[in-house]
Amino acid sequence: MALRAEPPDGGWGWMVVLSAFFQSALVFGVLRSFGVFFVEFVAAFEEPAARVSWIASIGIAVQQFGSPVGSALSTEFGPRPVVMAGGILAALGMLLAAFATSLTHLYLSIGLLSGSGWALTFTPTLACLSRYFSRRRSLATGLALTGVGLSSFAFAPLFQWLLSQYAWRGALLLVSALSLHLVACGALLRPLSLAEDPVVGGPGAQLANLLHHGPFLRYTVALTLINTGYFIPYVHLVAHLRDLDWDPLPAAFLLSVAAISDPVGRVASGWLGDAVPGPVARLLMLWTTLTGVILALYPGAQAPTALVALTVAYGFTSGALTPVAFSVLPELVGTGKIYCGLGLVQMVESIGGLLGAPLSGYLRDVTGTYTASFVVAGAFLLAGSGVLITLPHFFCLSAPTSKPQDPVTEALDTKVPLPREGLGED
Amino acid sequence: MPSLPSLRGPRAPPLPLLLLCLLAPVRRSSEDGRTPAASFTSLPVREEMMAKYSNLSLESHNISLTEHSNMPVEKNITLERPSNIELTCQFMTSGDLNSVNVTWKKGDELLENNYVINATGSILYTQYMFTIVNSEQMGSYSCFFEEKKEQRGTFNFKVPELHEKKKPLITYVGDSVVLMCKCQDCFPLNWTWYRSNGSVQVPVGVPMNNKYVINGKNANETRLKIMQLSEEDQGSYWCHAIFQLGESEEHIELVVLSYWVPLKAFLGIAVEVVLLVAIILLFEMYTQKKKKHSDDGKEFEQIEQLKSDDSNGIENNAPRHRKNESVGQ
Repeated sequence: MALRAEPPDGGWGWMVVLSAFFQSALVFGVLRSFGVFFVEFVAAFEEPAARVSWIASIGIAVQQFGSPVGSALSTEFGPRPVVMAGGILAALGMLLAAFATSLTHLYLSIGLLSGSGWALTFTPTLACLSRYFSRRRSLATGLALTGVGLSSFAFAPLFQWLLSQYAWRGALLLVSALSLHLVACGALLRPLSLAEDPVVGGPGAQLANLLHHGPFLRYTVALTLINTGYFIPYVHLVAHLRDLDWDPLPAAFLLSVAAISDPVGRVASGWLGDAVPGPVARLLMLWTTLTGVILALYPGAQAPTALVALTVAYGFTSGALTPVAFSVLPELVGTGKIYCGLGLVQMVESIGGLLGAPLSGYLRDVTGTYTASFVVAGAFLLAGSGVLITLPHFFCLSAPTSKPQDPVTEALDTKVPLPREGLGED
Repeated sequence: MPSLPSLRGPRAPPLPLLLLCLLAPVRRSSEDGRTPAASFTSLPVREEMMAKYSNLSLESHNISLTEHSNMPVEKNITLERPSNIELTCQFMTSGDLNSVNVTWKKGDELLENNYVINATGSILYTQYMFTIVNSEQMGSYSCFFEEKKEQRGTFNFKVPELHEKKKPLITYVGDSVVLMCKCQDCFPLNWTWYRSNGSVQVPVGVPMNNKYVINGKNANETRLKIMQLSEEDQGSYWCHAIFQLGESEEHIELVVLSYWVPLKAFLGIAVEVVLLVAIILLFEMYTQKKKKHSDDGKEFEQIEQLKSDDSNGIENNAPRHRKNESVGQ
């Protein structure tokens, strides 16, 4: 594979988008639809709901905290073998879960094993995607991430049908088979050598470099704050509506409305991110501020039409901020360090995600309504967007190149020899 | 209109009203609670029966009919344990109350005693009192008012039903399963389990052994645990709730699959994934080979060009050589 100076922005990159689409579907779609199995586990193991919910929580936690591991391995070996190995692990976890005899068995197989598999797949794929695109990076990321929303729609009824045909053991076996497709998705991730790669060094050096990178750290803080507020409506909207005396069915329906405007927002924002000149961080700030304002408006809305309008808007803006959030990173740290960078960001921001929902619940228990929860969530989002202003080149008019801001690396760049033909594969 | 002194219908031996007041059981207000406003001139009930069953609860039920009712009026009553029953029918008509023929029937059988008829204003009341202690006394009791058209009101007595519509339970060979039956607001005396092959029901779990265990946490539920499932255990299972006044049953379907069923699907999909991966990797190797060939081809052409230049040079070698030599020198 020839050493490229710039990301190809197309060509095989679209196959990577396809791969990332299916991977987001198979990782997050499965996680989100796992609630269907929840009822079955409660009945089969005769355990209380709280203990069964730990299965999904452990899986999500392992996926997020394991992201740096996935990234480091991808930097060393390239994304393809790492993602394929991750797919096998994820499928193996589900397979072993089909033979579970206790809840602990499920914690280990689904939570730990499948969670590790997911950690090795999602982050390296998105990083790989960022390396394949520069001008159309946001659009590509937005398109890839729509996989999450669409799969939540498809997988929930599919899993329900599998349960009715095969009971939970057989259904887990087939979900494992479904997860095996992650291996096929991994096969699509052709390695790409970019100009910066020989310069930035191995994963250890990259991690050390990143931890001293001011803008990167600020960006991580911003994303953590954003993540704390981001999930609140998805977790608590239905409960908030029930507090307002809505029936369960219309309340759940409203959540699906958000799930529809979400992918629309992702694609629109992705296209916009590429079309508008200047650093993408500004668009991220725009969407984050809008989402924060919408969340703060929620307690004031009582009429059904207002709530529906707010929910549609929330779905759109919260979906819109996801692709640009991923696109800011290459602009900050360069495509060479993207794997490690993304891994670190995912790990740290997951702290926000883990804290956000319980914090919101705690506020509800203390104050009696969700008003404080929504307002605090909005405040976190606004704080995050405030931190984004401190990123470099925020007020510039022209787009920065995807080269890193680090002066050391810039100096090394001048010493990089011209691209040589026939350098060979990584 | 004054109350009629003469009554239609057969009379039982009359009793002093005072005695009846002393022996009358405590009246419990029922859902449709209204007892007739006018007092009865006599209440023909058997004294022994009243004494024997005075500790049972009383169920009062009421049906209203008019001369214009098109359809027979029915009331479904759920009864779990023996009770004293008081059924009242009232009939409103603009015609002559005397000309109305009043009868009570259980099913198709005409009832002879234990009922009274009274009238107030333009409403005719009839009340039937009896006691239900066993399952034969359950069924349908009807009051008939015959004027020009026959008007009928029916009270249907049934034991509580176990009404949970259940989806088939899917299990695997070697697993164990718990079949559960629950009664919402009732407490059966006993529960039994049967399984059926065709129409015959065979008791299950009666000698409790390693395979079947029956227990229930509360009186209103029962659980049948079947262990070491095999494909022969597949089929229809019935749980019977036994009351003093009858039985109620519920059907549960058990399906036992072998692991091979989903495993086949799993292996099929795994093969498909392996094929996909092979196709993707082979395609990549193929396109790279092509690229290498075209690269090699370019190099080949370049080499050919050099060679042809060279060969041209060889022809002119001598002069070049000489030139070189001349240069060299």
